[in-house]
Amino acid sequence: MKVQLFVLILFFSSASVIALIAYYVFRSSQPTTTNKESVKDPIKKRGIFLFIWFFILAVIFSVTLPKSPYYIFTDETPNQVVYVAARQFFFMLANEPIEPNVPKMEKIEVPVNKTVEFRVTSFDVNHGFAIYNERSELVTQTQAMPGYVNKLRWKFKEPGNYKIFCLEYCGAGHQLMQSSFVVK
Amino acid sequence: MTTLSLKKTTSAWIITILVLFIIAISFGITMRFNQGRDINLNPDTFYSIMTVHGVTMIGIWSCAGMMAVNYLLSRYVKTSVKLNVFAYAFTVVGVLMIWASTLIGKFHAGWTFLYPLPFRVAWAKWGTPLFLWGLTLLAVVWLVWAIGMVAQILRNYSLSESLAFQHLSRTKTPAKETPPFILISFVSLIGIIICLVTAAILMALLFAEYYSNGGFVNDPLLVKNLTYFFGHTIANEALYLGLATLYEIMPEVSGRPKFKTTWYVALGWQLSLFFILTAFFHHLYMDFVQPISFQIIGQMASYLASIPSAVVTVLSVIFLVFGNKIKWNIVNGLFFLGVTGWIIGGIGALIDATISNNIVLHNTLWVPAHFHTYNAMGNVLFSLAFFFWVGNEFVDSKDYSKFNKLLLALLIIGGFGFVIMFYIGGANSIPRRYSVYPKELNLGDILATLGGAFASVYLLAILWIFIDLMKKCIKVFSSAR
Repeated sequence: MKVQLFVLILFFSSASVIALIAYYVFRSSQPTTTNKESVKDPIKKRGIFLFIWFFILAVIFSVTLPKSPYYIFTDETPNQVVYVAARQFFFMLANEPIEPNVPKMEKIEVPVNKTVEFRVTSFDVNHGFAIYNERSELVTQTQAMPGYVNKLRWKFKEPGNYKIFCLEYCGAGHQLMQSSFVVK
Repeated sequence: MTTLSLKKTTSAWIITILVLFIIAISFGITMRFNQGRDINLNPDTFYSIMTVHGVTMIGIWSCAGMMAVNYLLSRYVKTSVKLNVFAYAFTVVGVLMIWASTLIGKFHAGWTFLYPLPFRVAWAKWGTPLFLWGLTLLAVVWLVWAIGMVAQILRNYSLSESLAFQHLSRTKTPAKETPPFILISFVSLIGIIICLVTAAILMALLFAEYYSNGGFVNDPLLVKNLTYFFGHTIANEALYLGLATLYEIMPEVSGRPKFKTTWYVALGWQLSLFFILTAFFHHLYMDFVQPISFQIIGQMASYLASIPSAVVTVLSVIFLVFGNKIKWNIVNGLFFLGVTGWIIGGIGALIDATISNNIVLHNTLWVPAHFHTYNAMGNVLFSLAFFFWVGNEFVDSKDYSKFNKLLLALLIIGGFGFVIMFYIGGANSIPRRYSVYPKELNLGDILATLGGAFASVYLLAILWIFIDLMKKCIKVFSSAR
């Protein structure tokens, strides 16, 4: 299951449980309610809740942290390096470093199931560098920041035409800013 | 002690905030209908509206929290009406400057004005300095206001008492009690002071570059950290100020004993100040050049911030209500619904604050989804609850109106329907802050139209509340005592 679908289901189920608890608590306070007692030993209940909530968070933290982009594919040597420079309102992609005053746009092909490193920067304002697959699902991303180079490593599992969209608001042409590359 | 002049100033705040809120919601609905291609705005008009929508919403709900705390503080300490009037007057000036820069000057760098976008002028040349000076004015005025309120608290409570340190002992009964309202207001105001000082430093750096004609250039990563430290903290502290009013008002309008400061309430709120000041790193997860330790702190602090909120505040509200016969009315009803919305939005926030999720959710519609949930269905409802409560004070009545079922339905259907469209959009990789969506992402169009329709239902509820409140707010100006 892709991450986005999982988090949507997780969110909607959690929100439904919270809404049901809220309704249950509200119903328990109606003037017509009988045989209800207010909460006994609230400190103990807080303690139990604290323990459970902390435990859930600690587990999620330990499971998810190693999946952070800073740790994945770091022990591998990239098979290909793609240089990316963003400008209002287009991306430049090349197989060699791009100089600020020498625009360069090359047709990029990267291998499937091999580690690719994108070295992403910007020559003007902050931009986003987000890669979408053929089903228009966001696969991975990083920021394009002037004066800095973000290195994004990824291994594409499916061949196809991948789109790039800008995901950091960069001005009136932000929504038009896109590019593409091929995974073979 | 509340005076007539304090009531009049509070009334002026409420009228201004609600008028600005209605206009800002209308801007938001306009944006959603443009994204749905139901109307057709120029991109620069869209992004100008987006900028003014964001800055207005953050501004008015921060002010709503501050002015509510200012009003309630007068129960415990001597407050200055002059300071309150000063804050009101200059806030209006600051808002007018920002609105002129965006709506007339077409400044459209977004409310987060992420450096160096404000300097890539694609609008009237005066737009950038007017926007930045407008924000600077607001930051300085609110800083003075927050420092003033902290000073007023410190006249009656020592620093240690304001932070409720004497309550940390589980065995000794403290000689002097710090009410939860004082503790939460103090902690939140300290957070606001820290973030506004940061805003002032940020503005100084931006002005240094702007007026040096290229002689001084900022570091984009440093400025981004400062920007999000300011933006994240002010948005969260505004919500905490709303919670301070909840602690003070909800028990008394529900016919229940007042909340007391216990060791865990004291500890929880002291810790939340620390966590909230370090959670902002989650805004920079996708900047891989940021030290990894900061990214880990970001996820850890975002998770830990939920613990005092859940274990202290949420459980206190549940224990207040559960199994007790509550006199439900519009005030405690809005507080209760607001807590529910706040928790649901908090779950959305925790999901996004997880780095491995953030890589596919960052700057998608998931972001406005979660912050609109805990604002529109959380913090706004806390402030509206205060408005209804203080509206009764204006007319010397303790008879709070019932929560009209149709109004409740409009709020729930409109509010949650509106944010659900954002969540579905975020999970489908639809970017935020696009005036229109590219053809590959045209699922965003229909979600935007539906979101706009639901937001219009929410707006109806707010108009209803506005009309209801105006009767009481206007009355206070003709009152003689």
